[in-house]
Order: sequence, then structure tokens, then C-alpha cells
Amino acid sequence: MSDVIEMHLKLLFDLDTLLADLEEPVYKKIGFKIGDTERMALLGRRSDLLKKLPREIAEVYEMLKKRYQQAIAPVENGFCFGCFQQLPTQLLTRSKEVTTCPNCGRILYWREK
Amino acid sequence: MNLASLLSKERINLELKPGKKEEIIKDLVYSIKKGSDAELIVSTLLKREELGSTGIGKSIAIPHCRSLAVEKLEISVGRTTKPINFNAIDKKPVSLIFLIIAPPQDPGNQYLITLGKIVQIAKEMTKKNLIQKPQTPEEFITLINKIEKDIGKRK
Ligand SMILES: [Zn+2]
Repeated sequence: MSDVIEMHLKLLFDLDTLLADLEEPVYKKIGFKIGDTERMALLGRRSDLLKKLPREIAEVYEMLKKRYQQAIAPVENGFCFGCFQQLPTQLLTRSKEVTTCPNCGRILYWREK
Repeated sequence: MNLASLLSKERINLELKPGKKEEIIKDLVYSIKKGSDAELIVSTLLKREELGSTGIGKSIAIPHCRSLAVEKLEISVGRTTKPINFNAIDKKPVSLIFLIIAPPQDPGNQYLITLGKIVQIAKEMTKKNLIQKPQTPEEFITLINKIEKDIGKRK
């Protein structure tokens, strides 16, 4: 996928993970103070990030997030880390397009080595 | 998993140059990742800070987040040569920073467990006035190991 789209997707994903953790009982128990106003502001930033993505990609992302909570899965050792299925050889390297796992549909992410 | 085993001396800087909160976070992230991975992590850590400072008081801060950019739990530690402003909850400056980054998928919830443990150990360090005690990264790891064991015995 293009570098800009990829960065926006990653930022969106990390932000969603951050927002999800706030709901975790274990996290709440640790006792960090979270401001409600600040949280609303961050949700606003989330919408801005979503708007920066091409519409069809934003829609796929939101659909996957509803289905799996985590819309993006890293590729590790040839496996999709969302469904743990082995990926076909043509998907083993980073692609210029936004690529989804043929098995579970999650957006695939190749880490920088 | 004990905390000391997650620390490495290359990622413990006890002579961190003072700076703005963002600069300190960047410095500590760069000891873990570089390039666009580091950029992503810094951006997510700063978003977490926007929700409320991770400066938990008594001169300790624990910036933390999950990020796609890492494949396992990564920790770096910095102690600034002079206290810095971290907008901490007690409004006091900070000198010891534990920075934690975890992958999004994290079987066994190691991230949140470790985060809780660091908060506990950090509080113990302030209580016993140990923040400035270790002089080398090795001594720092030994100290953490000892505190962790002491806490374990109390349970
Ligand atoms: Zn998959």
C-alpha cells in the first residue's frame, strides 16, 4: 500500500487499540487517570484520521473492526497473525496495494525489518 | 515473567539529557525502533499522553502503548540528569521514565500485567528513595530484580 495510506492506517489502528485498552478491567485497575474531555478529543482525532483514508479503505477498515475488533493483522513467518493461516506465496512480501488475508479478510501488514 | 528479564542494559540510560516531554519520549523510543516504526510509536505514545499524563507522581513516568510496530513487549528506561516537566499528576517534575510498548496481539495479557508491575515497583522505588541509587544499568537491573522479589514475598 502507498506509504501515506499505510501510515494513516497504522495510526488509526494504534489509536483504536489504545481506546480499546481503556475499557480493559486490568487496565482500569492499574489506576491511570483518564480525562473524559481528552478522550472525546481523541475520538475526534480518530474521525479525522478516518477521513484522510480513501473512502473504500475506510469502509473496509470499519467493517473489519466491527467484525474482529482488530482490523489489521501483521504477517509473521508467512502467517496471517489474525487467523494464523499460512498465506499464499505471492502474499509473503509487502505489496503496494492494500492487501487483505484471503482467509479472514483482515488487512495485512508487513513489518519493517 | 519477571520484569528484570525484560530489561536490557543497552536500553537503560541513566544519564538521559533533559528535554521536553516529547523529546524524552522520542529518545527512549529510538533505543527500541528507528524510522517510520519509531514515528508511529511516538505518535501513539503522545496520543496516550493526551488522555492524561502517565507521570504517576513522585518523579516517575510510565509512557505506554500498544503498536503494530513491535512484535514483542519492549521496554526502555531513562533517568534524566535533571528533573523534567512531564505534566505529572502531582504537578512535580519527573526524573525516572519507564517506557513500554507492546504488540497489539498479546497472549496472556503480558502487557497489562507488566505495566501494573512496573507501577508497583516504581512506587516502591520512590517510597524507599532508590531512584538515584543505581549508578550503572547493571545495578539498575539488579535493583529492579530485588524489589520485584521483595514484593513477591509480601504476597
Ligand atoms: Zn487471516
